[in-house]
Amino acid sequence: MNQGLRLGRPVAGTLAVAGYVIMIVPILFVVATAFTAGSTLRFPPEGLSLRWFGEALAYSPFMEAVVSSLELAVLATALALVLGVPVTLAIHRGRVPGKGLLEGLFLSPLVVPELVVGLALYQQLMIGLHLDNFTTLLLGHTALLLPYAVRVTGASLALADPALEEAARGLGASPLRAFLTVTLPMLRPGLISAGLLGFVTSFNNVPLSLLLQTRDFRTLPVTMLDYVQQSYDPMVAAASTLVLAATVVVAVVAERTVGFAKIFGGINR
Amino acid sequence: MTTPAAELVGVTQRFGSFTAVDSIDLRIPRGRLTTLLGPSGCGKTTTLRMLAGYASPTSGRILIDGQDATRTPPEKRDLGMVFQSYALFPHLTVADNVAYGLTMRKVPAPERRRRAGEALELVGLGHLGDRKPQQLSGGQQQRVALARAIAIRPRLLLLDEPLSNLDARLRVQMRAEIRRIQSETGLTVVLVTHDQDEALEMSDEMVLMRAGKVVQSGAPRDVFPAPADRFVAEFLGYENFLTLADAREVAVRPEHLRIVRSDDPQAGRLGDVALGDITLDAVVRDVAYRGVDMLVTLDATDPAGAPVRLVADHRAETGPAPSAGDRVRLVAPQARLALLTPEPTTPEPTTPEPAIEGI
Repeated sequence: MNQGLRLGRPVAGTLAVAGYVIMIVPILFVVATAFTAGSTLRFPPEGLSLRWFGEALAYSPFMEAVVSSLELAVLATALALVLGVPVTLAIHRGRVPGKGLLEGLFLSPLVVPELVVGLALYQQLMIGLHLDNFTTLLLGHTALLLPYAVRVTGASLALADPALEEAARGLGASPLRAFLTVTLPMLRPGLISAGLLGFVTSFNNVPLSLLLQTRDFRTLPVTMLDYVQQSYDPMVAAASTLVLAATVVVAVVAERTVGFAKIFGGINR
Repeated sequence: MTTPAAELVGVTQRFGSFTAVDSIDLRIPRGRLTTLLGPSGCGKTTTLRMLAGYASPTSGRILIDGQDATRTPPEKRDLGMVFQSYALFPHLTVADNVAYGLTMRKVPAPERRRRAGEALELVGLGHLGDRKPQQLSGGQQQRVALARAIAIRPRLLLLDEPLSNLDARLRVQMRAEIRRIQSETGLTVVLVTHDQDEALEMSDEMVLMRAGKVVQSGAPRDVFPAPADRFVAEFLGYENFLTLADAREVAVRPEHLRIVRSDDPQAGRLGDVALGDITLDAVVRDVAYRGVDMLVTLDATDPAGAPVRLVADHRAETGPAPSAGDRVRLVAPQARLALLTPEPTTPEPTTPEPAIEGI
C-alpha cells in the first residue's frame, strides 16, 4: 500500500508534467511564431515584430468571421440555456416519467458524431426546409450545447436541497416567486459555467460549421482553416494568439468573479 | 369547546399501491404541542406534509381553523414549517432568511426588520443576523429555521424531525428550548419524531402511528403507563411480555422487574410480594454493566407455562449484583403491569387501564 503510493507519486507527477508539456508547448510555438518579422510560419521566428497582428486585424474576412462567430456563439448559448434549464428543472424537480431517458436524450449530442449531425441538418433543414444557413447553424450549435445546459445546471440543482423550494412556498411564495427568489440563485453558478462552456464550444466548433457554411456566413475557425489551406503566412498564428488572449481574459474575469472551481464544478458552495 | 387548530378527517394518502396514510382522523388541539410518533414509514411525515400542503391527500379532508384547506396550496396556508434539513436559503443572510416570509407578505421593510429581529432574539441568535447560514453550527441553523417559521406568526408551527441532525446533548437542550418557545408564543405545534423520549418529554398530546394508522393517542402520562398493544409497548421501551394463565398479555418495563435472591430468607415474606404481583423463578443468563445500573438477562417460565427471556435493570443500592447462573426470583408488581389489547388493534382514544385484578 505504502510502496504503491511511493511509486505512484513520481509516476503521476511525470504524467501530469507530460500532459502539460503536450498541451502547452505547441501553443507556445504558435504564440512565438505570431511575433515573427519574417513572412513564413516557421520556428524559431525570424526577428520580432507585431506586423502580423496588424495584418490579422486588418484582414476583413477574419474580422467579419469574428463577428459571425460571436453572434452565433452568444445566440446558441442563450437558446441552449433557455431550452435546457426547464428540462433540468423537469429532470431534477418535476414528476416526469422516464427521467433517465429524457436526460439521455439531451446528452446524446455529446456522443453523436458532429459530422453526422451536420450532414443531417444540411439535408433536412437547408435542402429540405430551405432554411438559411445561419438559422441552420444556430439550430445545430444549440443542439450541440444542450448537454452542457442540461448537465452543468443540473449539477447545481442536484446539490441544492429540494426542501428549499418547499420552504419558500410554505413561507408564502407563489411557485413563480419561489423559482425567482430561491431556485434561480441556486442555479446561478451552473448557468454561468454552462454559459461559458457553451460559448467556448460553439466559438471553437469546426465540424458543424464546416458542413453548414456558405459564402455569406462563416465562423472564425472555418475561415482560419480555409486561410491556412491557401497561404502559410504567420497571420493565422497572430489571429490564433489573439483568440487565445481573449480566452485568457475571459477565464481570468470568470475566476475573479465566480471562481473556477465553482464554474467547472457547477457547484453551489 | 373551541375548534381545533387543525383537523384531519378520514385522510388517506396512497403512492401507487402503497398506502402511506390510511384513513386517519386527527384533531390538533389549539395552543398545545402535539407529536406524531412512530417508526420510519409509519406515515407521520406524510401526515405532516399533507397538513403543510406539500402533498394532497388521495381522499379525506383537512381543516385548518375549522375551514377546509384540503386543496389550499402551501403558500396560502399561513403555516410555519421547520424541515429536517432546515432548508435555509444559502444565498441569503440569516436575517434575510428569517424575513423571507414577511417579504413575501409585503410587510414594509422597517417592520420586517423589527419582526425578524424579534424572532431571532426569541431563539437567542439576535447577534448573528448578518451571517450566512453556512457559517453557523448545526444547532444555530436549527434555531434560524425555527425563527424563520415563527416570524410569520403562523397558525400552526410544523416541525419535521427537527432535532434528529443534532448531537445528543444539544438535542436534549433543544427539547426544552422548543417547549419554552411554544409556551412563550402560545403557538400550536405539531412535531414529527421517531424518538419516544423526545415525544414523552415535549408533548402535551402524543399520537402514535403505525402503518398509516393512529394506534394510540393521549397525554404522555396517560399513554406511557398504559400502552394499548404490544406495538406501542415495544415502541415505548417495554421489553418484557408475559402471557397470563388466562391468555391475556401483559407488558412490564425492565426497571420495574425486581430481582429477589432465591436463597434470601426474606424474599418469600408476604410483605414483599403484594397480592396480584407476578412472581417467577428465573435463571440469570447474562449481566451487563451500564454504570447507572446493570442490565440482567434472565430465562424464566411465564404464568402460561411458556419459556420466556426477560430483562431487568438492577441497581447496586437494591442489593448485591446477581451473576450468570444464579437462580433468582422475579417480582413484577401489579401496579406496573400494562395489560395489552390483542392485535389487530382498534385505534381508540386511550383511557388509563384499571388495575389488573385476580391474577
